Amino acid sequence: MSKEILDIQNLEMTFPNGVQALKGVSLKVYEGEFLAIIGLSGSGKSTLLRSINRLNTPTRGVISYKGSDVLKFKGREISTLRSNVAMIFQKFNLVGRNTVLTNVLMGALSRTSFFKSLFGAFAKEDVEKAYEYLKLVGLESKAKTRADQLSGGQQQRVAIARTLMQNPDILLADEPVASLDPALSHTIMDYLKQINKELGITVLCNLHHLDLVKSYSDRTIALKDGTLVFEGSPEKINEDWFKEIYGEEARKV
Amino acid sequence: MKLISKRILFDTFFNAYLFSLIYFLPMYFFAESFDKSVYLVGKTITSLFFIFVALGYVFSQLFIFVSLKTLGSLLFEPYAQYTSKFKKTFWRKCLSLIILGTLVASVVMTQASFIDLVDRDGISGAMRLFSGIFNPNFDILPKAILAIIETIYIAFLATFIAAPFAFLLSFLGAKNVMTHPTAFVCYLSLRTFLNIVRSVEPLIWAIIFSVWVGIGPFAGMMALMLHSLASLTKQYSEIVECISDGPVEGIRATGASTLQTVLFGIVPQIVLPYISFTIYRWDINVRMATVIGLVGGGGIGTMLIQYQGQALWQEVGCIVVVIAVVVWVLDTSSAYIREAIK
Repeated sequence: MSKEILDIQNLEMTFPNGVQALKGVSLKVYEGEFLAIIGLSGSGKSTLLRSINRLNTPTRGVISYKGSDVLKFKGREISTLRSNVAMIFQKFNLVGRNTVLTNVLMGALSRTSFFKSLFGAFAKEDVEKAYEYLKLVGLESKAKTRADQLSGGQQQRVAIARTLMQNPDILLADEPVASLDPALSHTIMDYLKQINKELGITVLCNLHHLDLVKSYSDRTIALKDGTLVFEGSPEKINEDWFKEIYGEEARKV
Repeated sequence: MKLISKRILFDTFFNAYLFSLIYFLPMYFFAESFDKSVYLVGKTITSLFFIFVALGYVFSQLFIFVSLKTLGSLLFEPYAQYTSKFKKTFWRKCLSLIILGTLVASVVMTQASFIDLVDRDGISGAMRLFSGIFNPNFDILPKAILAIIETIYIAFLATFIAAPFAFLLSFLGAKNVMTHPTAFVCYLSLRTFLNIVRSVEPLIWAIIFSVWVGIGPFAGMMALMLHSLASLTKQYSEIVECISDGPVEGIRATGASTLQTVLFGIVPQIVLPYISFTIYRWDINVRMATVIGLVGGGGIGTMLIQYQGQALWQEVGCIVVVIAVVVWVLDTSSAYIREAIK
């Protein structure tokens, strides 16, 4: 097994409204793997991902990223962390009124000074890179189109290009295909797999569909009510594990 | 027995108002020469007020005692049960009585009179005025156009100065930006301050500034600027509060700084509505500047009040035409622009 990139210990998260989303989750993530996270809605999958890049601040525990504790980060350190740990979202989270190219360039914000970004003066190599990544996701012809004019699948590909601009070690994908046509799911998942294999970026992906989990992930963990209930190869998830993770009443789709 | 509740408080003042109507209205009708000043001076009115409130309180307790559904219970005790139909619908009788009483009182107070409306002298005066206005004297047209240009410039400068300040303040006045507890205090005090500024009519600000900086266009501009600043900040803040969080989160997750997040996550979402509101505000300011001119704020309003004072109705007619044309053009074009940049 290769080197570990994340070491999460006893992670607990209680929201201000009293909801306890994570109840002591421990887990290791290894460099270059494709890790799928499954579980019912509300089981803490999103909270776990969002804790890693500090969009959430967990109440207790340790998230060790390359040896330093993420939860002790402040200000500039958090920005650096977020630029290394990129994220894509279920709702794509692009700025709809801006062009596709501008949206991709947003990935370079953390290495651009405020005044340069104020005047849109991104470094020349960043603009070239943006075009290169747009080409990678097959959207170079749409560079000057407004982002909200693209289809959902295309928007998610722009979001992927934006994360590539960050030059990240880890990509967090929070249900990346949940608001897409099932037929398009494989396209997006293929891009994620390609990024994982060719660029060596570690991918942590929340997923709903078990068949996607089985065909794309190297390793799978399952959360239930904020605790880790399964860890291992996706092939091991048989009928019994399925009932354990999703409950007795769940049925495969 | 409860001494005080929302229902009792409401019913007390409601009853007090009803009693004062019952007390004063017959006086208006039956007293031969009803002299308000005799009945409404200092001590009399104060003691009457307390008597009515006390009576109102006693009756509100009485209504509770016999368990009648009053307006107060309708508003504040919606789930209470009542035994008979009369008790259940008592509030309707109260409400009809108060609406009827208020209607009669307002007719008396506004001295509305059909006779005045059809009075021969009055009508001939109005006809003189209308014949003047409908035969405008276009000799003063150049002067009127110069004056309305002044008005438009007053409005433009007021909007131009107010907009950038309002832009900066709008972030401080948006609940979703000011989430930190200390920031929230700042948000609350800014909102309160702006609400106070906004609740004072620009007409009053114009009077204040005409004393401060002297009568003229500058006073009018300052008045409009202050009012625009408060209104624009409020409208801008509401736009900021309505933005979707997704893009903001998307930018934040790239490792952008807070300022960059505002610049690239929030600003693109608000810039078009901002422009739209600013153009609309200029449009409103032109109309307001006309009114402000009446109290010495310069521009076409000041010119209008001068000719009106001399009863030069033909000249007034010309000014009215100029105002109407400019307001119509601005109204239509600003609506068109706002539609186009949606």
